[in-house]
Amino acid sequence: MKRKLLSLLLVGAMTATMFAGCGGGSDEPAADNAADDAANDAADDTADDAADDTADDAADDTADDASDDSASSGGGSLTVYAWDTSFNIPALQAAADDYKANVNPDFSLEIVEQPDSKGVEQAITLAGSSGDYSTLPDIVLFQDHYIQNYVADYPDAWQSIDGIDIDWNDFSAEKLDYSTIDGVHYGVPVDNGNAVCAYRVDLLEQCGYTIDDLTGCTWEKFIEIGEKVYAETGKYLMTINADGNDLVYIMLQAEGESQFKDGEPYITENETLVKIVDILVEMAQKNVLYLANSWSDYCDQAIVGDMVAGVMNGNWILPTISKVEANSGKWELTSIPTIEGGEGYASNGGSSLYLTSNCKDAELAKDFLAYTFGGSTETYDNALRNGGVVTTCISAGKSDVYNEGVAFFNDQPIYSKIVEMGANVPIVEQNNYHYSARNYIGTAIINILQNGYSTADALKEAEEQLRFEMGL
Amino acid sequence: MGENNKKSGKSILAKQQRAGWLFLAPATLLIVIMSFWPIIQAVFTSLKTGSSASMTWSNPIINNYTRMFADKVFMRSVGNTFFYLIIQVPVMLIIAILLAQLLNNKDLKFKGFFRTCVFLPCATSLVSYSLIFKSLFATQGLINTILVNLGILENNFNFLGNGSSAKVVIIIALIWRWTGYNMVFFLAGLQNIEYSVYEAAKIDGANGWKTFWSITVPLLRPTIIMTFIMSINGTLQLFDESVNLTNGGPANATITMSHYIYNNSFGEGVANFGYASAMAFFVFILVAILSLINMKVGDKRD
Amino acid sequence: MISAATNNTVDIANGKLTFGTAALTNFKNLTNQNQSLWGAMGNSFLYAVVQTLVALLICSLGGYGFELYHDKKKDMLFSILLLAMMVPAVATMIPLFKMISKAGLLNTVWGFMLPAISTPFLIMMFRQNSRSFPVDVMEAARIDGLSEFKIFFQMYMPIMKSTYAAAGVITFMNAWNAYLWPKVVLTKGQAQTMPMLIANLASGYTTDYGLLMMGVLFCSVPTMVVFFILQKQFAEGVTGAVK
Repeated sequence: MKRKLLSLLLVGAMTATMFAGCGGGSDEPAADNAADDAANDAADDTADDAADDTADDAADDTADDASDDSASSGGGSLTVYAWDTSFNIPALQAAADDYKANVNPDFSLEIVEQPDSKGVEQAITLAGSSGDYSTLPDIVLFQDHYIQNYVADYPDAWQSIDGIDIDWNDFSAEKLDYSTIDGVHYGVPVDNGNAVCAYRVDLLEQCGYTIDDLTGCTWEKFIEIGEKVYAETGKYLMTINADGNDLVYIMLQAEGESQFKDGEPYITENETLVKIVDILVEMAQKNVLYLANSWSDYCDQAIVGDMVAGVMNGNWILPTISKVEANSGKWELTSIPTIEGGEGYASNGGSSLYLTSNCKDAELAKDFLAYTFGGSTETYDNALRNGGVVTTCISAGKSDVYNEGVAFFNDQPIYSKIVEMGANVPIVEQNNYHYSARNYIGTAIINILQNGYSTADALKEAEEQLRFEMGL
Repeated sequence: MGENNKKSGKSILAKQQRAGWLFLAPATLLIVIMSFWPIIQAVFTSLKTGSSASMTWSNPIINNYTRMFADKVFMRSVGNTFFYLIIQVPVMLIIAILLAQLLNNKDLKFKGFFRTCVFLPCATSLVSYSLIFKSLFATQGLINTILVNLGILENNFNFLGNGSSAKVVIIIALIWRWTGYNMVFFLAGLQNIEYSVYEAAKIDGANGWKTFWSITVPLLRPTIIMTFIMSINGTLQLFDESVNLTNGGPANATITMSHYIYNNSFGEGVANFGYASAMAFFVFILVAILSLINMKVGDKRD
Repeated sequence: MISAATNNTVDIANGKLTFGTAALTNFKNLTNQNQSLWGAMGNSFLYAVVQTLVALLICSLGGYGFELYHDKKKDMLFSILLLAMMVPAVATMIPLFKMISKAGLLNTVWGFMLPAISTPFLIMMFRQNSRSFPVDVMEAARIDGLSEFKIFFQMYMPIMKSTYAAAGVITFMNAWNAYLWPKVVLTKGQAQTMPMLIANLASGYTTDYGLLMMGVLFCSVPTMVVFFILQKQFAEGVTGAVK
């Protein structure tokens, strides 16, 4: 019996500690000390004059609005889910510091790290499925491509941020197109997914080209240059993550086209898309394009492993390129080639901050977002310095930090260039099945390259699968 | 074995039976609450459609099931999974049992060390394991370097970028990771075989190979059946390797059933739990049938 | 061949990321993470140890009951229970999550381990291994007047030492490395486990491999230690002690 007693005791003790630990964590006393009667409403603070406001105002609002069982108990604290310690988490940290220093000294932002964007999506899905939204944080960072889908599927998980004090005209229209649903704003943009083409200018020079030859060129010309680069240097001029299929989408958007038309797949009938697939296949066959088989192969082998002379993706790929210190000063950025020639612009990836329905102190959250990501140069400058996060806010993109030359990229002022290019990105039709479409087209490309499919057959299969998945 | 208790008187027998039920009650209750209840709910879900926040009965009611058989990607994932199953499970179990026999040798030095080495792969975390395999088989990875230097390959080959070689890599990875795990069961099973049996066999002049087949294997039968069921079950629900090594690619050449189910519930921004549950139920039936056959064939009491 | 592969990978993991000078910085970075390394370590230890102890007790009781008192009904019941392990975890995740969240057990060790305590697999392991349990010893004990429970605790447990050890290793390892389910029930930052911390390190647009490997090292050591300690239990000749 001794053993049994012992184990029972052990279990009992563990249980007791757990519950005790739990209880201690959850019912921290709400800070009700900041209860003086300043009349200003935080929502009235414009981004410009919020800095002049006294710290008391914001703290006061907090105390007023926070209901007892809020996820954000305490004097002005918020929780947020984000997923990348070297990218968007420093940006959020910069915003929290900015708000704390200039608006509300009692403010604190708890950043709960998720392994990836899927972690956040999973949290919403779970909460939505169980109908228990109390597990959600106040704010989540969410992928732009998915948000429309999730607002439609889990309408109770979100709250609109209408009434927030942000001048929307100061943001790229393409970016806002995602976070605005039926004319209602749901999110505040954080980063900028503008696609860039980065090339090794030293290798180009070695082959008798300059970056100007690749600016606004046709894909035909690009392949010609790429073949020469591979022959002379053994490096690929382009790489693609075969299971992410960024390139197809970027190239398509640069042409102003989408994989969807009127809510239905637009693949086999889409001549531009067919052409792009043919171009990619030709590139792969001619060793202009390295087909990486996964995200880590793409980053760690192709880019960090120094196998390529060119990269095309959202500008968030730049920190990865910068990891190879030996190549500092040898890279430059430019726009995307197009089928007919002329500079192409596109956007890939990117995310915004959204308020969940569990955010009880919406006024504080809105004030925080409006003050920081609504246009504070301090937030955006630090986000750029610490995390390489480039803004879509046009005025913030004009700061000195943005206009500095970057040594790694041959002293090009790349960030202001990216913001500038961002204004030209065409709006194309979006769809909830965006990534599914990309996957099926990626599968088609591999089927053409490896399994002897013709372009028409492979794309037909892709379209059928996509229609099947969409239930059409 | 186990029948002796029938000799005792009736009241004692009843008392013992009651004790038996008491012993298995907590475990059974937990399984019923934590597994069967959710399963029943999942079966209902499999008849529904829509986002998981507001599901409606699908029309016709078995729509998710008919859809499943028309879904080329799912059918492909079924094919892939069976391919892994047929090749990997027998190979792995044979290696595991041989290794266990080898490492159970009384005279072997540093047994603990070797055992730990063999067990190590399944104790390492998934992250490091997938990283290691990815870098080993990368286009510029170690395997390529060795093969090119040996003159077996002319150019670096993208192992994970090609459908058939990616499948082979997954099988190698599976064997590498799970052999040690299964060996642990065999080792534990071998302990229950008395050494004197072997000594008697030795005196009878049986060689090592013969003792292995005529003594070890039959006596290990319960363990073999158990590991077989476990491995079938594990392989049919294979998820980690498909997700972490190849992400199902290239062109869905390596995707497994569980991976596809996961993609339909938590992946790619599309949460289709009704459909996912239907597919999960299909997997459930497959595993159940295979295990049943296995048990019928092997599980006979003496 | 396999032990060669093992050594090889260790070489790769270490060899590729020149340790030595980088080790200290990596370690520092690891401890300076956004999330606390020691907190995650502590959580993982707590969860894994509690789960292992409870699971061993409940499942061995179950296996013992199913095998040594077996009759038609119990054999039937066992086959039904076996079905439970054949359902892909993804399918039961949502209903389980609902249940745990309604019971208010999110972010607790109970939420973490309840679905994993009683597994058909462990019961089966004990059941299969109990076949070699000498029934005559049991009879003798009954004649001596020992109660059924005493027989279990005083005779079964010590005799089945090697099975307990093997089952302990497996359970500890599963609990320690569990990821999918913990990711669902442990929503708070402070409740995170080591695999969750590692997953956070491993993701993002850029990965610091030195840091990651240091984390992985920390994450792998405990399972190896547990195995190394327990393997002696089921490896040293127990033969004499049993029969």
